[in-house]
Amino acid sequence: MKRRQFIRGAAGAGLVVGAGLPSVCSGLAVFGAKPNLSHVEARYYDKLPDREVECRLCPRKCRLGDKERGYCGVRENIGGTYYTLVYGKVCSLNVDPVEKKPFFHFLPGTSALSLAAAGCNVNCKFCQNWEISQVRPEQVDHFDLPPERAAAQAIEAGCPSIAYTYTEPTVFFEYMYDTAVRSKRRGVRNLVVTGGHINPEPLADLLAVVDAVKVDLKGFTQEFYAEYVRGELKPVLETIRAVAKSKTWLEIVYLVIPTLNDRMDLIREMAKWVRNEVGDHVPVHFSRFQPMYLIKNLPPTPVSTLEAARETAREEGLHFVYVGNVPGHEGENTFCPGCGKVAVQRVGYRITSIQLKAGRCDTCGTPIPGVWT
Amino acid sequence: MAVPRVVIIKAGNLWTSTGAVDPAVITKMFARGFALLTGERGDAGAISSLFRPGDRVGIKINTIGGKALSTRPDVALPFAGWLSQSGLQAKNLFIWDRTTRELRDAGYGTSADRSGIKVFGTDADGVGYESNLVSHLSVGSLFSKIQTEFATASVSLALLKDHGLAGVTAGMKNYFGAIHNPNKYHDSRCNPFVAEVFDAPPVKSKHKVSILDALIVQYHKGPSYHARWAAKYGGLIFSLDPVAADAVGWSVIEALRVAAGLPALKDEGREPVYLATAEKMGLGRADLASIETVEERVA
Repeated sequence: MKRRQFIRGAAGAGLVVGAGLPSVCSGLAVFGAKPNLSHVEARYYDKLPDREVECRLCPRKCRLGDKERGYCGVRENIGGTYYTLVYGKVCSLNVDPVEKKPFFHFLPGTSALSLAAAGCNVNCKFCQNWEISQVRPEQVDHFDLPPERAAAQAIEAGCPSIAYTYTEPTVFFEYMYDTAVRSKRRGVRNLVVTGGHINPEPLADLLAVVDAVKVDLKGFTQEFYAEYVRGELKPVLETIRAVAKSKTWLEIVYLVIPTLNDRMDLIREMAKWVRNEVGDHVPVHFSRFQPMYLIKNLPPTPVSTLEAARETAREEGLHFVYVGNVPGHEGENTFCPGCGKVAVQRVGYRITSIQLKAGRCDTCGTPIPGVWT
Repeated sequence: MAVPRVVIIKAGNLWTSTGAVDPAVITKMFARGFALLTGERGDAGAISSLFRPGDRVGIKINTIGGKALSTRPDVALPFAGWLSQSGLQAKNLFIWDRTTRELRDAGYGTSADRSGIKVFGTDADGVGYESNLVSHLSVGSLFSKIQTEFATASVSLALLKDHGLAGVTAGMKNYFGAIHNPNKYHDSRCNPFVAEVFDAPPVKSKHKVSILDALIVQYHKGPSYHARWAAKYGGLIFSLDPVAADAVGWSVIEALRVAAGLPALKDEGREPVYLATAEKMGLGRADLASIETVEERVA
């Protein structure tokens, strides 16, 4: 499929297509969205007496009676069988630079076919995509994109990878998994952008079929997770550990929110944890917060705070620490831990130079961990 | 704060030989319930004490449980009919819930007749949710335009039932159906979320009366329908105090549970703690000792 056909196809599905990159990203369908939900049996759940079910996909372990949905709003018990309502129901589809996810050590300079279905299993008060993540699937426009077609579209759009992103891909696990399996067979790699609230069993299955995972570590105290995320820190840390132990590439993002999670002692503690538990080679991105969703009373993160966080993490021995959402900042670049020279130079999502040969610094030959080819 | 009154109306001849509900009896139950609630003798007086003549009244029902366990059409439709005969204009009355599908599944025929009583869901063409979030205490939600724009006054005509997480779902929790993201508010036994959704301006500023459909009460394993734990209680419960209405509803469920040999909700760790929260927030009374409960049967 040519790009023009791709755009037309999306437009034919009644969705908004922006100029430039193929872009489908809808907000709330306020007027009479017609439900077009999937009824594909969910995985990772137990059937219980009296038509109840217990979901085992994420740490919430929602126990649900007939006709009830889980916290995510996209999995429903119908007569004692649990269904995913969003299998192949894509509400957002774009071709994005992989740096936007962000992945900085994974095929830099390439594009990822980036897709989402509605829903999320937490409720961050600072959610950047709440109009598709904090809604039920019948409240957004979406269109059908079966796994095979997603793989084909990635190839036709010239994307070496598919990214499951924007919302929380854990809640559309079945679709993500099947798409990853099919696209992998066709040589397309798979990237997961997640908050990390997933149980060990589905995570292990997922890690067997995907190539990279970016975990949003949203804070480093349970109090923060309880109040601002409506989730738990411990399972997120377990997810990070599990990804690090696997063959799947790992990057971590920490969105720094003024006054809420920007204490440098906590950031230092987090950096130590990363160094000790998953390794000093794991990239950590300190991203800039913008007022959004339910937190509009705080200003954007001062760049100086991001710089301090970066410096703190580097003091603790992390080698690849980045500043995010500040285009043009020096902290967007990858520096060789051996010679200190710039190995990958970035401006925003654009790569301006790559000084690597076979994953080693062009200048001194020090290995730079990542997936470069 | 004056002692709130909760009125329970039952009827001996409510059920017909086919197991249906006699709408004429239901209408009498409403008339008597409102009379006892408002102290007004005539229907028109009772209605005018709560609503302005030009009010557009949204009757929020609960249809998530399908035909077996929703606010019954043979309760909601006679109620709307009685309102229209008692001073409110039929064209200004609408029975509503989240979706057209749920309304249909519960046995409601949707109607948008301009001059008559309307039945429709938030997902109907031209309706939908507000585009601006209401951020209130720990709740952040989009409210149905039916609640925010269409209605100038609101009635919670809820089904009384057991709820696995909240303990009890009744008049206050019914308004979870007015927000776009109720799934986000079932943590920690729905506390403080039930109280906080009710306290949000789109609800609190318009709510006039709680009425609980307690004709058949699911007193265990709710909110899903299980015939084994569903009892013909045969009552309608009325109150101007939304917390008191639900507190009395809770006591009804507990009594049915005792009769069935089931433990109290507290013993199962799921008593409706949101009622105490609501009381603390000044939304009404949760302590039965501070509520006047009046029970009558109509012929």
